[in-house]
Amino acid sequence: MKLIHGLFILSLALLFVNSCTIYEKLFDNPVDFEANEERGIGAPTLVFYPKTQILAEDDSALVGSFIVFKEDSTKPFAGVHLQIEFPNALLELDTIKPGLFITDTSNATPLFTYTYDSINTIDIYAYFLDTLKKDLDGTGHLADLVFNPIEVGSDSVFYNLDECEIIDHQDAQIDINGERGAEIVVQ
Amino acid sequence: MSMNQRILVHLILTFEIILGFNPEPTYLVLNHFDRDLPAAEQALIDNFGNSTFEFDPSIHHMFEDIDNHENPAASHMVTIKELGEKYQVNYILFNRIEHIDDRFVLNGLLFNTRSGGLIHRRKIDLKQYLNGQINELNMWVGNTVGKVEKNWEKNRKSILFSDPEEINYEKTPRGAAIRSLAAPGWGQAYSGKKVSAGLWASTESSLSLAAIISFLNYDKAAKSFLKNSKLYDETNDEKEISDYRTAAENDWNDHKKYSQLAIIFTAATGTGWIANSIHAWIVGPKPYTNIYQQWNTK
Repeated sequence: MKLIHGLFILSLALLFVNSCTIYEKLFDNPVDFEANEERGIGAPTLVFYPKTQILAEDDSALVGSFIVFKEDSTKPFAGVHLQIEFPNALLELDTIKPGLFITDTSNATPLFTYTYDSINTIDIYAYFLDTLKKDLDGTGHLADLVFNPIEVGSDSVFYNLDECEIIDHQDAQIDINGERGAEIVVQ
Repeated sequence: MSMNQRILVHLILTFEIILGFNPEPTYLVLNHFDRDLPAAEQALIDNFGNSTFEFDPSIHHMFEDIDNHENPAASHMVTIKELGEKYQVNYILFNRIEHIDDRFVLNGLLFNTRSGGLIHRRKIDLKQYLNGQINELNMWVGNTVGKVEKNWEKNRKSILFSDPEEINYEKTPRGAAIRSLAAPGWGQAYSGKKVSAGLWASTESSLSLAAIISFLNYDKAAKSFLKNSKLYDETNDEKEISDYRTAAENDWNDHKKYSQLAIIFTAATGTGWIANSIHAWIVGPKPYTNIYQQWNTK
């Protein structure tokens, strides 16, 4: 009887203590315009996903480039110019691939090109060409960048907003209100 | 016999003459019992060896109207003297025992045959107990001859209520409190408070159940929140992000709400549990310091 009683009291105590745990409500996905807004970063926003990745020296880092729009409040766009800088002491560029967002109805990317200054700057140019519509709206995937680690350390890949551009199909510029970089940790 | 021994015998005889020789008292016992008590006569003989008893149960009618006389103590002086001379006794002892339901009444009269007067009287009305009639007879006679044994008094005490201070109570407020601490309502039930026992048990059960249900809901919401948060972090699809975020936010609100409810219900259960134990102690069985026997109105 005493054992049962003790167990019941202990269960109540554990129940009480466990019930006190309130988890932190932390939403910080760079592709979520609400999460960006909560951090004072307005849309449209150029972001990388994932925001942080930890990898070994023999791994490769896949960084996705995204444009994040706020629903119903951002103008549609047709073309982008992204200038991306990366820490060349930590990483070397391996591959650049077009994102799914700017593919046309044939799943082709008729206009996607980039330049690399062989140091640490990449310029990507993409234009949406489709037979059915002229512009894109909403959040989407622009490109994938694959880097290879050179040494152990941590640094960030980021957009140079001064050089980045978004235009509509009439070549009118759309303001970019923020960017979020990606942190790479090589262990 | 030596000279010294002769002197000692003379001294003893001289002291006896000076102090007066007191022969053993003799009694004529007139027993009148409405039920057979065959051991009564032998009990007097056995217990009072320094007295001599003569028994004659046929004589008793004369004493039944004693209270109707103007002076009961002197109502039968002549008869008493005559009986004293006839039986050569010092005293006449009249004992009458009547049974009424579970009680009996002993009426005892002691007359001195020299004066013929009533010198001692006792009337007691008692609840029957084991060998009570013989015991009371012994005590009555023992009182007249100055010899009352302890075990007779002890036997009589067996029908009396104990001193409240000496009573070992099987049920105590502390016992009730401990039982209620083990299981709400048990202490009240132990004290005979069935209604409050049921109320406490049902209240505590309901509160415990509510606390457990709240905790289970909290646990479910918390796990769902962690799962949806993980899925939210792991996707870069705009729609999935929105869906997981909405789900995680709902889960977060639920887990907070159920956490508060679980805490409230657990605290209420704990507080109620202690209150229930205190209540059991308060309403627990209390010793009565004054015990009265119900008067037989028949």
